[in-house]
Amino acid sequence: MALYKIKYLIFDGLIFAYLAAVAWVLGTSPSEEQLMDLQTNFLLCLALFVVGAIVSILINKTKMKTLGALLFEPDHMKGKNTKSFWKSFAGLQFVVTFLVTFATGSLVTEFSFYELFDDRGMGGAKRLFQALIDPDLSILPIAILKIIETVYIAFMATALAIPLAFILSFLCAKNIMGKTSLGFAVYATLRTLLNVTRSVEALVWAIIFTIWVGVGPFAGMLALMLHSVASLAKQYSEIVECVSEGPIEGVQATGANSLQVVWFSIVPQIVLPYVAFTIYRWDINVRMATIIGLVGGGGIGTLLMQYQGQALWHQVGCLALVIAVTVWLMDTASAYIREAIK
Amino acid sequence: MSASSKDKKSQFTKQSILSIKNVKKTYPNGVQALKGVSFDVYPGEFLVIIGLSGSGKSTMLRCINRLIEPSEGQIIFNGEDTTSMGASKIRQLRNKIGMIFQHFNLIDRHSVLSNVLMGALGRTPLLKSMFGIFSKKDQEKAQKALDLVGIGDRAHFRADQLSGGQKQRVAIARALTQDPEILLADEPVASLDPATCHTVMDYLKKVNRELGITVICNLHFLSLVRQYADRVIALKDGELVYQGQPSEIDEKWFEEIYGEGATEVHVD
Repeated sequence: MALYKIKYLIFDGLIFAYLAAVAWVLGTSPSEEQLMDLQTNFLLCLALFVVGAIVSILINKTKMKTLGALLFEPDHMKGKNTKSFWKSFAGLQFVVTFLVTFATGSLVTEFSFYELFDDRGMGGAKRLFQALIDPDLSILPIAILKIIETVYIAFMATALAIPLAFILSFLCAKNIMGKTSLGFAVYATLRTLLNVTRSVEALVWAIIFTIWVGVGPFAGMLALMLHSVASLAKQYSEIVECVSEGPIEGVQATGANSLQVVWFSIVPQIVLPYVAFTIYRWDINVRMATIIGLVGGGGIGTLLMQYQGQALWHQVGCLALVIAVTVWLMDTASAYIREAIK
Repeated sequence: MSASSKDKKSQFTKQSILSIKNVKKTYPNGVQALKGVSFDVYPGEFLVIIGLSGSGKSTMLRCINRLIEPSEGQIIFNGEDTTSMGASKIRQLRNKIGMIFQHFNLIDRHSVLSNVLMGALGRTPLLKSMFGIFSKKDQEKAQKALDLVGIGDRAHFRADQLSGGQKQRVAIARALTQDPEILLADEPVASLDPATCHTVMDYLKKVNRELGITVICNLHFLSLVRQYADRVIALKDGELVYQGQPSEIDEKWFEEIYGEGATEVHVD
């Protein structure tokens, strides 16, 4: 079976199974106990998935096309779709799935206009806000010292992440690694590893590192660095995947070896986007370093957590002000620099 | 016919520098770009390959320096079969075969001189080349190549500051720095205006005549072919349909190669 068929059968199977499962839950309103029975539910979903995949096969046997088929079919088949998307079965499938998800989502998040505009709740928020906009400036000196520490944490995390991410970016680029099967294996392994690293919040890494190296800026820096390596490697490798082929061919044709080809034809094309992404990452890291501080990663976040824990909102207001100004400054500066080097 | 037989006779006396034997190429998507092409290339000649877009010209050239892997057949270069070469031998092969491209394929952000020095990459150790350290000899060679194509004064310009014609001359200089025996030119003038087009072709001719480098060049325009080629081969749908003198391509052959109803466009 062609690879694209497997892809769309999985896609459609999941969608149909999902719709059926939602309908099931809404229709039968099962008890808490039933919902918690993971084993039965898993088997049920698996059965629904198989049925969904079969439904997909049946539908695609007719003149209609499912969303999965439309999405994953090879390019040369795409040209034959004359029907407008919104009038096709795939369009219907998309709209129904979106509406069902939106409706379910409102139920799950307990979306309520009543609570949003309830007087009592709003009053509390108002008091807090009033304290925040009337900051206690007496703690400004310590706040400034701590924000400087935070900016340094972010800088070190970014700087240490650059060389690692730089090397990883080539190993994670499909156009470089995808040509041999060994290369592809390295590419796939590293991509998965980086995706996992990135999907774990920096906050969680910070908790791990506070246990590893102790509470303080060093733990925060390590957490941010790890997260930065994963993010930068992904962004860098996407730039590598977008380089134009011409110069690569040009250098290859001279008899250069593969490292020379990378250095002379790819690196010049990626340097500026790399710099832009790196500055942006530093900017993001300053913001994240604030949060990292909440779990003992040092910097202004630690201070923030102390005052917030004691509900000293005027002091929190001062810290928030310092953070806001710093982030705004970093943001503006990095935007100007990125604009200038384009 | 007499010209062609005389031509053949003179070529039989020479040993071919490159011999293409029944080369086939099928791409992974099933397209058969070359369906068994055979021809010989003789030292010092200016061979032009003509044909429509999609006729397999570009694939043919890239099979010669192995930028594309031929699926079947043999390519004999100086008595050696290139199709069985491993990675490091391929690099040596590429070093002896320069190539220029329709879109020049220079590194825009590097200087002209640095681009030309890339022709020496094949014989420069990795670390040295990465720090931009090239031997005195190579630097002189690069400058000489630039002078030869008439842009020696532009050596320290950035490549993206040059015009199209100048870029193609830089590409020629880069190829010359390799000290090639053969120069492949894939549609070298297809993205240039008619005036610059002749300048570039003239330099290719100069390289061919003065340095004795064999040139294999893909071209669209028949008027250019008549002006510059020593010999012509024509590809159509991946097959060799014509081989002979440029002067022998008459109306009938033209329609055969380019299809019914095609009219010739002149570049002057």
